[in-house]
Amino acid sequence: MKKPALTLAILLMLVALVLLLSVRYGSETLSFADLHRALQPADSHYFALVEYRLPRILLALLVGAALALSGVLVQGVIGNPLASPEILGVNHAAGLMSIGALMLFPGLSVMWLPLLAFIGALLAFALLRLAAGNSAPLRLALLGIALTALYASITDYLMLSHPLEINQALMWLTGSLWGRGWAFVYVALPWLLLLLPLSLLLCRPLDLLALGEEQATTLGINVRHAQQLILLLALALAAISVALCGPLSFIGLLAPHLTRRLVGGRHHWLIPGAMLIGALLLLLADLLARTLHPPLELPAGVLTAIIGAPYFFWLLMRTR
Amino acid sequence: MMSGRPLIAWGGPLALLAGIFWLSLFSWSPVPIGSWQAISALLPGKVSVLSQALVLNLRLPRSLVAILLGASLAVAGCLLQTLTRNPLASPSLLGINAGASLAMVVTSAFDPSWVAGYSIALLAAMGGGLSWGVVMLLGRGWDTAGDRSRLILGGVAVSALCAALTRATLLLAEDHAWGIFHWLAGGIAHVRWREFWQLLPFSILLLPLAWLFASRLNLLQLSDDSARTLGIRLGQLRLLVNLVVVLLVGSCVSVAGPVAFLGLLVPHMARAWIGNDLRLMLPIGMLFGAVLMLLADLLARAVAFPAELPAGAMLALIGAPCFIWLVRRRT
Repeated sequence: MKKPALTLAILLMLVALVLLLSVRYGSETLSFADLHRALQPADSHYFALVEYRLPRILLALLVGAALALSGVLVQGVIGNPLASPEILGVNHAAGLMSIGALMLFPGLSVMWLPLLAFIGALLAFALLRLAAGNSAPLRLALLGIALTALYASITDYLMLSHPLEINQALMWLTGSLWGRGWAFVYVALPWLLLLLPLSLLLCRPLDLLALGEEQATTLGINVRHAQQLILLLALALAAISVALCGPLSFIGLLAPHLTRRLVGGRHHWLIPGAMLIGALLLLLADLLARTLHPPLELPAGVLTAIIGAPYFFWLLMRTR
Repeated sequence: MMSGRPLIAWGGPLALLAGIFWLSLFSWSPVPIGSWQAISALLPGKVSVLSQALVLNLRLPRSLVAILLGASLAVAGCLLQTLTRNPLASPSLLGINAGASLAMVVTSAFDPSWVAGYSIALLAAMGGGLSWGVVMLLGRGWDTAGDRSRLILGGVAVSALCAALTRATLLLAEDHAWGIFHWLAGGIAHVRWREFWQLLPFSILLLPLAWLFASRLNLLQLSDDSARTLGIRLGQLRLLVNLVVVLLVGSCVSVAGPVAFLGLLVPHMARAWIGNDLRLMLPIGMLFGAVLMLLADLLARAVAFPAELPAGAMLALIGAPCFIWLVRRRT
């Protein structure tokens, strides 16, 4: 028996707990007394906490939620358990667009990155549709992977021919929250505050689409219209996340599946649940990335891949 | 298909290989080398000029390693595609490259003294074999009724995991992570005679061995059942061929890093050129592989001259669109 409300409450508490841990632990552990004091600008920990740790934690929360939501929306429309922004190549295309723009115009403001990444995501999706049409799940996933390989190879090429700082390069190769300050939070916040609630309005069409296209039409929604709207929203969410943190993999695949097992397939539970799980996953990955071997830092994308790749493998074996 | 005209079928690629080999000895050198000096350096006699020494000590081993690498990876790709009857099978897509690199990186993080000579090639082969075993066993790779895409996606998933672990190990254990990124892209900019001698025994032993399996593998192209009725012991053959593949890939990765897409593309080129008979396909594949690797290395030098890019990055740029095309063409 599934009790979605209870599950969501537990998830919310877990997120709060991990948030608290993320604030405390890092290359330096702060006690609660330290934390309280560090909020004063005069304190020696002020910079580390307020300028460094807080923005990236907030960003992890937002980006994790956005990526998970994007996965839910894509899976809702395509009806393919393997579909998710990273498998379809959207993430890497958005990343490629961002890194390309940054290399061509080094002085570019981060404000523009989400828009450029969105264009990249749209192009990638159009290309995938052009190449795949309505293919079977495995074939669509394979084409997505092939396109991803293309975008990744171009990114690699750009990166190798214009050497960057190593953390910077890693960010664009695997996704990371390294060095993300308040400026990035301010860029993400308005978009995500607009888009995340908007998706809750789409619960009904999503539920109906899950019944199949014919059923959905009979029940009175314009299927094509709804699908296009939902996909646009999904691409926008993925693109914003990637523009800020690089192509973080497997959260958009993993979170929807996990949530579906916990709260079932109704979207008014699934959407908030997936956002919480996505946020939880990315917060945990970032926390681990910062604390495994301080002061060195792993990119969070490496950790999400270590969890996500085996899951993808397992999913693959079950998909027919 | 050129199998009807043997002179063109064999002479063409051979001439191409010779031409590109010659080109690779002198072109795009920071210190100008004359095209004639490149040849005169190869003739016996005393080396007097700097450019001749450059050819002998830098260019020649590099080009020879490129030839061996290309031939080995091409053969590995041909064998894999025959064995799995999957046109997308290749060392990079099935996770062998990624497993081999992971094994190397982990070993060097624990004990750098191991990273030399033949032991590292064997280690890389073991890592590659392990990751491939995971793909094949868990992915039900021998199940011919299953969807062909599944095996490849499984390989990609295992590769992603190995790549993530490799990056994590590198970042935690190494000081100069940037150089390692060049290595992970796959390239031969650093090779000298030592790497050539490290690679040579594997190639000399394994490439003819692979050819000896060719006639039996030809029967495997039909179906498992018909191969069995014709008296092939499937399990034994698979094990041996797998061993050859894994050792070939391991030796290549240990010298040049994970070079992607060569093993995927060359078998298709060879098949289109000479037909499905593996006894002909394997040697032609070796020629094509060598040409492609030399070409990629030349390109890698040319596009960023006087700096250099890893040849693997160039191959990925060429190979990824072909990969998309191959996925679309099948099924």
